[in-house]
Amino acid sequence: MSFATGQLGLPTAQQLKKYRIWDSYFTPSFSHPGQDGSSRLITDIEQTLPTIKLGKIEKLCYFAHVGIGTTTDADLEKLLRTQPEAVAKPLKQWPEMMLGMIQLNANNVRGSLDALNRWLRDGPMLGVYFPGGGPGAMTCTHRNFTPLIERIRQLNGVIMQHTWFKTGGKQGAGESTPSELAELASKFPEQKFLCAHAGGEWERGIRAIKGSPNVLIETSGFDPTAGFIEMAVREIGAERIVFGSHLPSRSLGTELGKVIGADITERDKTFILGENYRKLLQPIL
Amino acid sequence: MNEPNFNMNRRDQHAAAVTASAATVLSSKSVRAENAAPQLKIIDTNVSLFQWPFRRLPLDETEALVNKLRSLGISEAWAGSFEGILHRDIASVNGRLADACDSYPELVPIGSINPELPGWEDDLDQCVNKHDMPGIRLHPNYHGYTLGDPRFAELLKRATAAGVFVQIATSMEDGRTQHPKLQVPDVDLAPLPEILKGIPEATVQILNYKPRLSLLAKLAKTPGVFFDISRVDGTNGIANLLKTVSADRVMVGTHAPFFIPESVLIRILESNLSEPDLSLLLSENSSKLMKA
Repeated sequence: MSFATGQLGLPTAQQLKKYRIWDSYFTPSFSHPGQDGSSRLITDIEQTLPTIKLGKIEKLCYFAHVGIGTTTDADLEKLLRTQPEAVAKPLKQWPEMMLGMIQLNANNVRGSLDALNRWLRDGPMLGVYFPGGGPGAMTCTHRNFTPLIERIRQLNGVIMQHTWFKTGGKQGAGESTPSELAELASKFPEQKFLCAHAGGEWERGIRAIKGSPNVLIETSGFDPTAGFIEMAVREIGAERIVFGSHLPSRSLGTELGKVIGADITERDKTFILGENYRKLLQPIL
Repeated sequence: MNEPNFNMNRRDQHAAAVTASAATVLSSKSVRAENAAPQLKIIDTNVSLFQWPFRRLPLDETEALVNKLRSLGISEAWAGSFEGILHRDIASVNGRLADACDSYPELVPIGSINPELPGWEDDLDQCVNKHDMPGIRLHPNYHGYTLGDPRFAELLKRATAAGVFVQIATSMEDGRTQHPKLQVPDVDLAPLPEILKGIPEATVQILNYKPRLSLLAKLAKTPGVFFDISRVDGTNGIANLLKTVSADRVMVGTHAPFFIPESVLIRILESNLSEPDLSLLLSENSSKLMKA
């Protein structure tokens, strides 16, 4: 059965278009793009297209593996280094819809610096993602981050850092918390950082980055717990909140619902759903 | 069930609502024939009243919650109580719940029972005979027992004999975000199929369950087991659930006000279900369960 939007909790198509939604955290085939470097990734995007259309999402940013050790598949890593066209295939296939950033590996500084030149300086990627798990994860207060952040700053790149505050402690040694991101961000006041998932346990996450004006929070990756967006707007302002969909492993309902269902102004929703992210990307677009 | 009928008891009102529901679903065909948007009846089987112990929620006042549900087209909501999680004076918890629900015709009170407490049998009796509740809600993980505990089987037997269904809340909050001094793992549902073999007339609805395929397949084959969708995530989450679980066992549950109620409804939109499956999910299954 097909519905007109405006039913079942979703605003009208016209209203959704008015928001001009840009998604900062699109995760198709997140851990592995397929043995040929792209097929699973492309299939995942294709399967998500109806949802993207339903939500009237204008643009989505995915995080590409580029062969610097962010997966455990040695054959894939080699292929991604030697066949860069596989890395950028989503951008070629959906040039109007897709944005891309590269997954960096702070354990591999030399490789990461080369990748920054290859993919940010020479294009078409717009920034980097520092993972919280897998072989590319490293706590963001490590000294290895310094040369990487300096180079990203020179290239006007955007930084998305995976963060969580997990009850019971970190699940892996390479995970980062919002507090650790705030510590890193204090050393680079001219660089903006995106605190992915607002730390998951968002009441602590928001508090941890409140005093760091160069840190914005990203909204995806945890259940649609009520009150999150309201607290974030109250504590750090709507201008420091950026929408992420986490599609397709999370749902439009979970992630868009957080913003749509929040008791905030329509103007603030517009900031969160697209305007803030566009502003962040502007220097490198 | 938009207007209260003061000449009917609560179960009569439910029966009337079921009839209205069927009429609405049936009439939706003719509405669509006129090229208009279908009128959908939505029953939310999983809301809670009062305050979550760890933070204030935007909709934790009953009037605000009901107004939100109305704005979303939800015409009936089965309401448990957040107080039932940690309070020990369960009789007063259920009394306040029944009183609050009396003010809103949309709300159906679902009492809390804690079989760890002495005298829980009296609480069950009050739910059934004093408050006329059609079901009860259990929180085995917060109350400190497993489904393998003989008291659970005894409770299930008594509830079934009294003609009420049993909701088991497998979780209330993601374990990763719980208060460090109150970490509560999800309820282990593994013993349930075996227990239900001994109580074949029982009706159990599992709430807030994040499906795990191996156990889900077993539960899906167990007669009398139903599910809500409050934690069924992923853009194909509900459609995938229906590959394992028959569509006549799945119901809407928003877990509001802890979760944003729009989230589950948008997820249903994303799932692009067939018309029959959608009707079952939105209200037919829950209407049938209530009628039974």
